[in-house]
Amino acid sequence: MGRRFRVRLAVVLLAAAPARWLGAQVPAASPGDLAVRLAGMTAVTGYEQAMVDTLLTLLPGAERDRAGNAVLVFGNGAPRRLAACPMDETGYAVGGVRPDGWLTLHRSPGRLLAPGPLFDQQLEGQRITVFGRRGPVPGVVAVRSVHLTRGRGSGPPDPFTSDDAFVDIGAASAREVEALGVGVLSPVALAKRPHRYGTDKLAAPMAGRRGACAALLAAARRAVAEQGMVPVHGTTVIAFVVEQQLELRGLLTVATNRGPFEETWIADVAPGIAALKAASLPTGPKAALGRLNGWEIGTRYTGTAVETVALGDVERASARIAGWLRGEAAQ
Amino acid sequence: MKPIGARVRGLALAGSLAGPCTMLVVPSLAAQEPARILDAQSILAPLLESYGVSGSEAPVRATVERLLPAWAKAQTDTAGNLWVRVGKGEPAVVFVAHMDEIGFSVSTIREDGSLDLEMKGGFFLSLFEAEPALVHTGTATVPGVFMPRDSVGATPRRTPSAFRVDVGTASRAETEALGIRVGSTVTMPKHYTRLAGTRATGRAMDDRVGCTTLLLALRRLDPARLKHEVIFVFSVREEIGLEGAEAAAAALGTTPRRVHAIDTFVSADSPLEPQAFAVTPIGRGPVVRALDQSAVAPPVLVDSLVALARVRAIPLQVGATNGGNDGSVFAAWGVPDVPIGWPLRYAHSPAEVIDLKDVVNLGEVIRAIAEGW
Repeated sequence: MGRRFRVRLAVVLLAAAPARWLGAQVPAASPGDLAVRLAGMTAVTGYEQAMVDTLLTLLPGAERDRAGNAVLVFGNGAPRRLAACPMDETGYAVGGVRPDGWLTLHRSPGRLLAPGPLFDQQLEGQRITVFGRRGPVPGVVAVRSVHLTRGRGSGPPDPFTSDDAFVDIGAASAREVEALGVGVLSPVALAKRPHRYGTDKLAAPMAGRRGACAALLAAARRAVAEQGMVPVHGTTVIAFVVEQQLELRGLLTVATNRGPFEETWIADVAPGIAALKAASLPTGPKAALGRLNGWEIGTRYTGTAVETVALGDVERASARIAGWLRGEAAQ
Repeated sequence: MKPIGARVRGLALAGSLAGPCTMLVVPSLAAQEPARILDAQSILAPLLESYGVSGSEAPVRATVERLLPAWAKAQTDTAGNLWVRVGKGEPAVVFVAHMDEIGFSVSTIREDGSLDLEMKGGFFLSLFEAEPALVHTGTATVPGVFMPRDSVGATPRRTPSAFRVDVGTASRAETEALGIRVGSTVTMPKHYTRLAGTRATGRAMDDRVGCTTLLLALRRLDPARLKHEVIFVFSVREEIGLEGAEAAAAALGTTPRRVHAIDTFVSADSPLEPQAFAVTPIGRGPVVRALDQSAVAPPVLVDSLVALARVRAIPLQVGATNGGNDGSVFAAWGVPDVPIGWPLRYAHSPAEVIDLKDVVNLGEVIRAIAEGW
């Protein structure tokens, strides 16, 4: 056998069965550990690629598709089924850099309305991170000093909006901002510091969605590690999808490029699954998703900076997903 | 710094799997920074990350004691103030910086295990809504969350009427089993964080920066060179009514030559603030708080202090701001109060911002006063 042929054969085998070949490289990490890790990360809609990089590292054999999703494929042929988790979060991008070094913001996705009337207010007077070209840069969002409002009323009664936000990264000029690698369109989000409380509670912005992705990720890693356990037959696609909050672009790309699927299961918080089921989708991509189902992760204080998920729920969801990957009836 | 009118009304973090997104750009390389900046930071960071709501300052007091120079002898009075006396001779010059911070105390433990809160100090309640919480029992720190309001109603308002803390329990008994009692104090987690250049952020810069500058001055003082006694008071309960300073003033009576409250100068250095007064940019030097809501510094002393700083080549701003200061309670004994601060953005918020150059220079102003004014 010639050397060139052996190399080609090796490449083909690796491409065809990544899970089987790379299973031994997956170190153990519980769904709870992964939930805490993912909750510490940021994936503003349209700017998810740092998280995709991490997912590709954590899931040997996965690849980035044309939309930027992280996708892993087990098996081949029919039937085809999809398990997906959306990664993205409503956040912000730098909208402008003032000559005095403060930054202004634009919401991403760029809808007129925030997800809730108090959503933007969570920024006021809090730590944020600006993701510049040279890496994440810490900052804060300005707030009036309570002392200086004395005798001038108690401040505006209406909720804070992103138009009220001035981001302070410590720069004193636009040139200093640029030197930090920050500019218009740099993504911005609340600083992520996952906060554990109670016996198994995890609080963080988007903790529910991160917990759902952790459940799917842990199950997928387990499937990779267990080599040959899945699929029973046919094709199973696992996808961590981008831009769910921007017309489901990542999910629909998987559907149209990897489908059609007989069934699609989404791991997400209940409002996310409900929104998906209620969404008005183009006929072709909608058909490519097949039957839509959801693995719901329960949350408390949903949509806030202390959105809370029980890590026990994440563990149980991951076990259900693992069973589905093995071909057991979905629960 | 206490807002005038303020009254008492009423963790395991993710570390096991650090991801690439958790690494922040360090805006300046430590090795290139002047030693004085790093020295100030080495004092400020542990002080800021100590927790001490008004009336529960023990952790901060312990940190101050740990950071004192070896030769300094500290005493705690019955109010809880920490005193360090240096040099001999009358009349003494007094510096006061407060150790306490704004926060909450537990007013009720509900049947469902959640906690009702009472404010300690003046601040915007909305800045704590839906944020992580820490309950300090005296022997342990119990994590929880400040609960978001149940609903926003038809006309959402910025400020919640009140809110509670959820420590992840389901009953009063479970909460009490964690050591939580009525009166336990409640804060938000805080972290000292460097920003670009020499700037930094964190909650409770007010007044851990003041404590830092007293410590910086103490470390650089030569006690043998002092011509009179200098008293450094790390005070308690400033945010709820200057209570610790009142006890110190009563103890000293008419004896001090002057008092210098070393506290925040609430600056209008922000796009959000009216520019009518308090326009003192951060990074351009400490500020003589010549006029605030509790005191007017004697103009002749202000001029004299400005001249002293000029001789020592220390940048010094002069301004008027709002709030009250610990030195004002010495007025009843006829002791002149010349408060000095450093400019602070976003006072009494979780995101207070300072410039470390101001911290270093304020330490130098204090040393200059102690040695020669």
